[in-house]
Amino acid sequence: MVFLGGQVLPGNVGRAILGPFADQRAVDALNHSLGVDRPLLVQYGTWIWNFLHGDMGTSYIFRAPVAPFVIDALGNSLKLALIAFVLVVPIGILGGVIAALNLNRPLDRIISLGGLSVTVLPEFVTGIILILIFGVWLRWLPIAAAWPKGAGFFTQIYYLILPSLPLFLVLFGYIARMARSGMIEALDSDYTRTAVLKGLPWRTVIWRHVLRNALLPTITVIATQTGYLIGGLVVIETLFRYQGIGSLIFTAARGKDFPMLEAGILTIGIVYAVATLAADFLYSVLNPRIRLGAEQ
Amino acid sequence: MSKNYRILDLLRRGRTPLENHLIDGLVDGRLSRREFVRHGSLLGLSLPLLGRIGMAAGFGATPSLARAAGAAGGTIRVGSSVPAAAIDPVTIADAGGLLVMQQVAEFLCVDGPDLVLKPALAESWKPNADGTVWTFTLRKGVKFHSGGEMKAEDVVASIDRLADPANSSNALSVFSGILQKGNTKKVDDYTVEFHLDAPNGNFPYMVSSDNYNAVIIPASYKGDYEKSFDGTGPFKLEKYTPKVGASFVRNDDYWGDKALPDRTEFTFFTDIQPQILALQSGQIDIINQMPVLAGVALLNDPNFEIISLKSVAHQQLHMHCDEGPTKDARVRRAIALCLDREKLATGLMKGRAALGNDSPFAAVYPSTDTSVPQRKQDIAQAKQLMEAAGLAQGFKMTLTTERYLEIPEYAQLIQNWVKEIGIELELNILDQGAYYGDAVFGKSNWLDSAMGITDYGHRGVPNVYLAAPLKSDGTWNAAHFKNKDYDQMAASYIAALDLEAQKATAGKIQKLLLEETPVVFGYFYDYLTATAKGVTGVQPTAMSQLFLDKASKA
Repeated sequence: MVFLGGQVLPGNVGRAILGPFADQRAVDALNHSLGVDRPLLVQYGTWIWNFLHGDMGTSYIFRAPVAPFVIDALGNSLKLALIAFVLVVPIGILGGVIAALNLNRPLDRIISLGGLSVTVLPEFVTGIILILIFGVWLRWLPIAAAWPKGAGFFTQIYYLILPSLPLFLVLFGYIARMARSGMIEALDSDYTRTAVLKGLPWRTVIWRHVLRNALLPTITVIATQTGYLIGGLVVIETLFRYQGIGSLIFTAARGKDFPMLEAGILTIGIVYAVATLAADFLYSVLNPRIRLGAEQ
Repeated sequence: MSKNYRILDLLRRGRTPLENHLIDGLVDGRLSRREFVRHGSLLGLSLPLLGRIGMAAGFGATPSLARAAGAAGGTIRVGSSVPAAAIDPVTIADAGGLLVMQQVAEFLCVDGPDLVLKPALAESWKPNADGTVWTFTLRKGVKFHSGGEMKAEDVVASIDRLADPANSSNALSVFSGILQKGNTKKVDDYTVEFHLDAPNGNFPYMVSSDNYNAVIIPASYKGDYEKSFDGTGPFKLEKYTPKVGASFVRNDDYWGDKALPDRTEFTFFTDIQPQILALQSGQIDIINQMPVLAGVALLNDPNFEIISLKSVAHQQLHMHCDEGPTKDARVRRAIALCLDREKLATGLMKGRAALGNDSPFAAVYPSTDTSVPQRKQDIAQAKQLMEAAGLAQGFKMTLTTERYLEIPEYAQLIQNWVKEIGIELELNILDQGAYYGDAVFGKSNWLDSAMGITDYGHRGVPNVYLAAPLKSDGTWNAAHFKNKDYDQMAASYIAALDLEAQKATAGKIQKLLLEETPVVFGYFYDYLTATAKGVTGVQPTAMSQLFLDKASKA
């Protein structure tokens, strides 16, 4: 699919590398040396064959193997996504729970409205504002996510705080709202009333009965956001000069660097599949009905 | 100041007739000293000699270009665009990549910020009588970072490699019709001759930094430049990480003055906004190239300095001369008369641009005939022309262009201006890849659109602009302009060795292009480099090169 899609895009690889003002003879020579003037089926066959043998191919643009680029970028993306997750999931759920427990009171309004407001702001707006505040005026945090070579774990986290904040803002409202509505529904349900009526302490009711049920839809939402967090951060990566897989794919698509593009998209696909699988697994842990169904 | 003819006579001795004619021009007052220095340097006269002639002709001492030297040491940090492809002198085509390459490798001569050629790896050069053979004398004792001495073989191989059609050379379009593979000849270890296809008065620019591919690297180079990063420059590569950055250290074996900074560090950015934020937060010292619209915030900020170079970079508005309403030259002139060029320069470009007069002859070129009147906005005359063409009621057409720099805003201004004479323009603004397409006729929005705007980078001489976009057989002739008189004039301009002959032909070309107006040249925009306060000695060129050997920061 990606392979075919890429071929339909205007321009050709040699042209993309040499630019519009290069002599046509030079472009033809470059296309020939890259092998992109061969029939499509031959190119596709070669690529699939190599990929199945663990060779992701050689980048047209960088004239170097693709694998190190993709692996580095994936590692970077995972780090950023992980930090954003660690920040946003507990805080988002907590926010939703607090809001639901204070339904229609000022605290609920502040969390819901505030969460929604920051969610609708695009990352490039919140990103620039955050950079201006923490990077340019206060100078507390580095504005580029590229940490120095050989930096330790905590230094890396320090460099990643600022880029993960806009992601936090985008996702917080979303997760908090899901958690809130799940909580409201669960609080309203018969089993909660039963649990309260049979005299369980409030804390136990919330922990064992409400939260467990309320979080199910939230987990699904979080899982579907993984794809975005790994591959969809082109804007954040550009703004914070971060070498993630989103910008890798973006520049590869622009430069018609198919080996890079295909490897990148396949990688995101795999990550997405793994994340969905993990979410299903977690779902079954939290929801015994699914588990029992499987055992029967 | 009086003229000292005795010294002048001494200095004239042994000079060629062409050189003596140039000196006559200065003595008789037909040439300004600036024109004299620039053209003299093109003909291969050394700057000290040009200075002595100027003194003898009564012009006083040449102002010294040397600035107070900054302190040595430290690391200069630069923000630049990401090299778009593997760094290779043969194929390189983008600003980010050529900047990295130019940190380690050098040219035969350098086209400075004042468009005056300065010797680098070549000490001097001179043409034969008709400008078909140019002889370059190389500097002795220049060492490559890999150890060997730079000699004529390396120059021959470096230039031949670029002139070879089988080599994916990005410089092929520069050498096409000028210099063929095999015509760069070694005379001895330190002398090289270029045998050209036709007379060419501006040839040294084609092997200067103006032709950014033309760096001199060892003859043994076989590709994969990123493995060696070999060159003769004042800095050596320390580390290069694709898409991330590069760092360089001082080359202590450099043939000239040793570089002041211990190190330089380049950080690559995919966008200009993060570069501006990085400069503001003190994480970089220099933004190599800052588009004026994006950099408005820095232009008036006292914490930063803007180095503004007069450049010849511009946007060409082409109109098809072979079909549709713009087939009529009167309609093309009418459209050109709608533009308020003063407003373009002061408003759109914040005063960082010079007016264009619908030809590639920008005012900064010494060969430009400045007596040709500047075209100004004149709606009444434009309406008359439309009426004469039988199109008083106006017409509709599409303006196709690329999303790049200020072009979309420029297109909107044009759309508003031509409304006044009844022309309704529909804008079709495309991604750069989609606009250029395959960059050949029939497969490119750029070359096939009835009207379009295209960005052209800076060149130290107008030769390239005069040929490919305007000649009848030009490969970038998006206007489909075919005019035999023009072709002849362009050829004779390119051949002319003498500044006054160039000027005379330039005047004719300027008038013909004003009459025909296949392309509207609205303005020529400056090249801006931003630095933090206290950073000195930074020398950019309008070709995106950046010389840091004299840079220092307080």
